Amino acid sequence: MGGPATLVIKPPAGNSATAATLLNEVQSRLADLECRYSRYLPDSLVSTINRRAGSGEFTRLDPESATLLEVADQLWHSSGGLFDITSGVLRKAWRFDAADGAVDLSQLDALQEKVGWEKVERTRDGIYLPLKGMEIDLGGLAKEYAADCAMSLLRGRGVTSGLIELAGDVATIGCQPSGMPWRVGIRAPQGGDPLGGIALSNAAAATSGNYARTLRYEGRTYGHLLNPQTGWPVEGPTGVTVIGENCLSAGAVTTIACLHSPEAAMAWLSEAGLPWLMIDRDAKYTGPLAVELGLMTA
Amino acid sequence: MRPLHSNNPFLRSLTRTLATLPAYQAGAALADAPPAFTEVGVRYSHYSEDDIDASSVIFGATNRYDIDITQLWIEAPVGASWSVALDVQNDYQTGASPWFVGTDQNGQPGVIMSGASIQDNRVEVGVATRYFWADGNAGFNVSHSDEDDYEALSMGFDASWNTAGNTRTWTTSVSSSRDQVNPTQGVIPVFVTNEELDTQSGYFGVSQILSRTAIVRVGLNYTYSDGYLSDPYKLNDQRPQSHERVALSAGYRHFVIDANASVQLDYRYYADSWGVDSHTVELGWAQHFERTTLTPYFRYYSQREADFYQVTADVSETYFADDYRLSSYGAITLGARWAINLGDWTFELEGERYWSDSNWGLYDGDPAPALVEFWRGTMAIIWRFD
Repeated sequence: MGGPATLVIKPPAGNSATAATLLNEVQSRLADLECRYSRYLPDSLVSTINRRAGSGEFTRLDPESATLLEVADQLWHSSGGLFDITSGVLRKAWRFDAADGAVDLSQLDALQEKVGWEKVERTRDGIYLPLKGMEIDLGGLAKEYAADCAMSLLRGRGVTSGLIELAGDVATIGCQPSGMPWRVGIRAPQGGDPLGGIALSNAAAATSGNYARTLRYEGRTYGHLLNPQTGWPVEGPTGVTVIGENCLSAGAVTTIACLHSPEAAMAWLSEAGLPWLMIDRDAKYTGPLAVELGLMTA
Repeated sequence: MRPLHSNNPFLRSLTRTLATLPAYQAGAALADAPPAFTEVGVRYSHYSEDDIDASSVIFGATNRYDIDITQLWIEAPVGASWSVALDVQNDYQTGASPWFVGTDQNGQPGVIMSGASIQDNRVEVGVATRYFWADGNAGFNVSHSDEDDYEALSMGFDASWNTAGNTRTWTTSVSSSRDQVNPTQGVIPVFVTNEELDTQSGYFGVSQILSRTAIVRVGLNYTYSDGYLSDPYKLNDQRPQSHERVALSAGYRHFVIDANASVQLDYRYYADSWGVDSHTVELGWAQHFERTTLTPYFRYYSQREADFYQVTADVSETYFADDYRLSSYGAITLGARWAINLGDWTFELEGERYWSDSNWGLYDGDPAPALVEFWRGTMAIIWRFD
């Protein structure tokens, strides 16, 4: 899914499963998810849906994929349309992946025509993108979901101590073999040492940030998160970390927070009721986790 | 450890959607683990029996029992795999109860009450510890109960473990208790001085997740008591020295997504070596709102009388009793539970009304003149913190 992964497990006592066996099983599960939800693989389910855009052909969905799209629908509603899995086509105007970070706003209006979750046609077990060139991108969900799937698989194999990190999102089972909670560092936007260590046990931490991929345009630096309603990068928090029972829920809260203005993000995070940390554009830290890590006073 | 439960409507809705995915289904997503935070709770209940109908009383007061029950508990995680709990309960009981059933000048059965001066206080202290592993947990508990005329020491072991992809949970428990009975002399004469009662009990059950909205549970309980089983405060009460009891219980929960509510149906069949058997059916509807849950419920109970029960006891028999609790009767309970969650705090209220009548049962039997009816109210405050 386009990012590094780390897996730490203590194989269960009295179980024939070795670490290597468990690692293989997790890799197989992640590969299965990548084969379906990666937009980089031409034969993935997501690529198939995108390829059929405007063709009149629905793509049939398995229950798991239909549920993930239902989650995407809930996030779209809850964010007032800011979280929109069809907004990826805007990257053709804002080329964060290009070496030169080029911006081509001439096609922005045309691209925006192809953005809009409300335009997508869905049935109970099928989906169709009605406009040629429309695309969906499950990148905002699939990584977190994959982390949860890995933990679920390992729990089912009797693992009582484990951690998975997929490109910054972390899910844990139990505590470290020593009995101490897992300690997860948060990457500082300015680089350097991680910001302290959050204690996790049977919990997940998801981080969204606008600092990892940026480009400069007309003297200003823009992050890669795009507002589907304006077509422009959002000017939200620099980074948000949320702890939840599972990675997907925590990730949903962080992603929506990052799509809001810093003030609205704080309100959203407070309302969500989960432990959170926000880094604003002035590198100021707020939230219960910032207090816990000594980055701000209560 | 921080509380990670949230009542945010978006997260609740998201959780419901994710519950359809295997990775988030109850057993898989919530593998057995110690509580993530410490829980402290206090619960107070008041139980109040209606006065007995004066026309059923030959002699004595008409008021019956009132009981105040106060419970305090704390449960906390210890390390990665253990939890410990302490539970203290105090019961304060006042009032009168039927001493025996006689006949009036018309030959009609009537109750002679014990008088209104009975007061009793019981204190029970229990400690428990529990070990958690990925597929289950096991606990051990010890409790001691003390009152003026009764002392009991009990211990128990229980375990539950998950199989079938965490969709099936097996549960077993065993317990043992030793009771000492030293009745106090009061306004009524008591002819028992020092007796003992030993009880052993075992349970085995299984619950199965049928779908993402349905779960079913069945269990079988066996209890054997040996020792003094009569009621020392009743004049005509001579029961066998042993008592075997078997109870089969079953429960079904069905979550109705559109209504954001769950239907709760429970059934219990009980039979014992004294000839008593009973059926209990309970139907509840748990309606979830944003922060609160309201659960009205209805319970029906029907019992067949004990072999040695008679309205007026025949003391020439080997065993005899005129205790209304051993008669044939039926009973209805209507109640409601309400709980509200405010962050780290939970408040609970419950009220129920119990009616009984010898004509409401499924079994024939002579009507006992002293069947009980009561109100019960409960309130609880629970605080969870890191």
